[in-house]
Amino acid sequence: MGGRGNARAIVRGLALFALGPVELVLFAAHLAAIAAACVGLVLLFPPLAERSRRLANLARRLAGEWCGMPVPLPYRPRPAPPTPGPDGIHRSLDGRRLFLTARMSGFERRSRWLWEDPATWRDVAWLLADPLVGGALAILPAAFICGGFWGALVYGAHGGEPLGWITGAMGIVLGPVIAPRALRLHGAWTRLLLGPASATALARGRARRHWLGEGLLSTFRCLVLGVLSPLAAAQLAVCLLAFVLTGPLIAMRVAVWARWLPNLFRHKGREWSGLDLPEPYLPVRGEGGTGPEGERPATPSAWWAGFSSRARSLGYDPATWRDLLWLACQPIVGTVPLLLPVAMIGYGVWGLGLPAAEVPLGNSHSPWYGELFGSVWAALAGGVVLLFAGLSTAPVLLRLHGRWLPLLLRPTAGARLLVEREQLAARVERLTETRAAATDAQAAEVRRIERDLHDGAQARLVAMGISLGAVGALIDKDPEQAKRLVEQIRDSSAHALAELRGLIRGIHPPVLAERGLVDAIRALALDNPLDVRVDADLDGRAEPPVESAAYFAVAEVLTNATRHSGADRVRIELLHTGGLLRITVLDDGGGGADPGMGSGLRGIESRLGTFDGRLAISSPQGGPTTVTMELPCVLSSPRTSTSSGTA
Amino acid sequence: MRVVLAEDLYLLRDGMTHLLSAHGFEIVAAVASGPELQRALIDEDPDVAIVDVRLPPTFTDEGLQAALFARRRKPGLPVLVLSQHVEQLYARELLADGAGAIGYLLKDRVFNAEQFIDAVRRVAAGGTAMDPEVIAKLLAGNARNAPLATLSPRELDVLTLMAEGCSNTAIASRLFVSQGAVGKHTASIFGKLGLGLSDDTNRRVLAVLAYLNGQRGHQR
Repeated sequence: MGGRGNARAIVRGLALFALGPVELVLFAAHLAAIAAACVGLVLLFPPLAERSRRLANLARRLAGEWCGMPVPLPYRPRPAPPTPGPDGIHRSLDGRRLFLTARMSGFERRSRWLWEDPATWRDVAWLLADPLVGGALAILPAAFICGGFWGALVYGAHGGEPLGWITGAMGIVLGPVIAPRALRLHGAWTRLLLGPASATALARGRARRHWLGEGLLSTFRCLVLGVLSPLAAAQLAVCLLAFVLTGPLIAMRVAVWARWLPNLFRHKGREWSGLDLPEPYLPVRGEGGTGPEGERPATPSAWWAGFSSRARSLGYDPATWRDLLWLACQPIVGTVPLLLPVAMIGYGVWGLGLPAAEVPLGNSHSPWYGELFGSVWAALAGGVVLLFAGLSTAPVLLRLHGRWLPLLLRPTAGARLLVEREQLAARVERLTETRAAATDAQAAEVRRIERDLHDGAQARLVAMGISLGAVGALIDKDPEQAKRLVEQIRDSSAHALAELRGLIRGIHPPVLAERGLVDAIRALALDNPLDVRVDADLDGRAEPPVESAAYFAVAEVLTNATRHSGADRVRIELLHTGGLLRITVLDDGGGGADPGMGSGLRGIESRLGTFDGRLAISSPQGGPTTVTMELPCVLSSPRTSTSSGTA
Repeated sequence: MRVVLAEDLYLLRDGMTHLLSAHGFEIVAAVASGPELQRALIDEDPDVAIVDVRLPPTFTDEGLQAALFARRRKPGLPVLVLSQHVEQLYARELLADGAGAIGYLLKDRVFNAEQFIDAVRRVAAGGTAMDPEVIAKLLAGNARNAPLATLSPRELDVLTLMAEGCSNTAIASRLFVSQGAVGKHTASIFGKLGLGLSDDTNRRVLAVLAYLNGQRGHQR
């Protein structure tokens, strides 16, 4: 019984060993697919990784059945098949990408699932390691027996050495004895890589990836900034040469042109080091000089005035001189520290590591290249240490560089003040504009009301008065005719009232006065032929003028949606957060609303502009259309009778 | 019949008092503000209340709120709401409790004394009187409503009058057709809208309005 079990274990070991070459081939295929993905061929890796899971699963099953080491499946659950949104478009899980077909969307989900599952990468590591470690374990018993026979035959039978007989016999005996243990060990090894990773191992893996990623990214950024830094010296030289050789006329233009480099560093500082580095330059004024379009000034004196004022504003701008100082310092301060980690990694890998790997090929090395203290192995160790040191110092140096940049590139307090003053001036300008627009609109509105009253209700009342006079004259002579006239007068008064109602709605809708914005919009929604849904979350009422502006803006947007969009459903959301009333009107129509805006939309914008409100439209061809309006306002204490249950 | 009248404009209040007295109503209270109205509705226990939506002191929907409040205290208290403008929103709120005895009319309708008095009597008797303008808005708002679209123009006319609160006899005389024809139309309307048959006027109207409401009932 035991003998048969041992023999079976040996055979199974051989079978497991035979898997090795297949694994190596698959590993090579994985490498190729990953390399292809790096150059954009992303279609190759996911199917390969998914199919190679069959081999890993086979190994797991064999570990359970043959080695007595059951290995649970470590994979994350397969993603659900994609379902299209209400608009028939598929969205990726994070909602940021859109797909037109279910197939593409499904592929995106599957490949994301495969790339992000750590078990995939453990599988790949197993494909490489198993032929070496697992294969050795599997073949061990058979190797003992073969070695035993070989020893016995070569040394014992032919050489006549008794030791050969003894070791040969020992090998032949030991092989079957250790076979079950070796098999069990193989199972344990399989479980080590193919089983689910523990939480701590996963966290460690993530931390390592994070460290490596940050190191590599910082190194790249150091390289870019380090290479750009010496350019500052050249830039400075160009500026100085321009001044010395051509005088201020050209130098002034060169100085403005030379700002691209400091600006580039400011941009990178903002992006990579999270610095607050706005452009510090004051606006260059050149009244009467050559404009940006290059038109000629009218007279030499006008040209001169423009030139001198531009020269003054450049000369008075502290940022000009701080830039020049920075151009002088950056090559010294920036280049060496930033390129240090790059050099460490470069020399570690290329100078010390790679030559050591070539030693087996019989190359010899100089002391600087591939050798440390005369030892190749010390060089290899040194190379590895340098690599790690470079990767860990790169983020630190990048941070230090981030401290240095603002010293000279940040706007001075005075410049900031000036910028603030400019912003204030712009704001005053905008306020003047919107105030003018508001008074214009109001005047037009009053004129319209006056005209409507004059031509409508007033005229009707006059007519009614005349008719009443006629009734007075007729009432005795011709009572029948008088009755008919009275009927007419009644109709006339009803018409006059209807007109007045319409006029009042246009001035200030009664529901708005009685119930506030939310219920007024609900009433609007109810009167609309489309299916309009209103979701409101306001705890209080805004100032009456703001409510009125918001109401008429929504009414206009809703009218547009009804007339032009071809929508069936409209959704209106009202929300007040952070001192901002946000109203979103969403319809499921055909979209394509002109972002250049028709007169209606422009009217809304100027209406909202009076209250510093904003209007944004997103209306791609094919829809949906979203109109967002924002109005800064405060809500006053709630009069909570509004939502007393519609429907 | 005991009436509570709430109207803040003196001329209108006075005119309506005369009109109602002339038609044999007893005005137990004619008030001019929301708080007064609320007290009168609770204390006087009228047979019908005629209420203006907008009243002092806030000049918002004070009258409407007072009427709704009183109807919560005394379910089914007949209330006829008058306003310078009509809103579906308010109509729905008034009808929401399903107890009937509700009227909602434009103030213009007072001009036609007979129709106005008829509406007051109908409401006092537990019926409904909806302004044609409200009904028109309700129907227009539901133009895309599929079952409603299957109605013939004649049936729509009948439905409109029915929703205003007219009886079959009144509909027949307004449309110049026989009562039997109106009966056939109503049966057909109920069939198309999937409503059970019922010969109670008030329940008919409520059913129609509830149906129309239900179509857009997802409004929060």
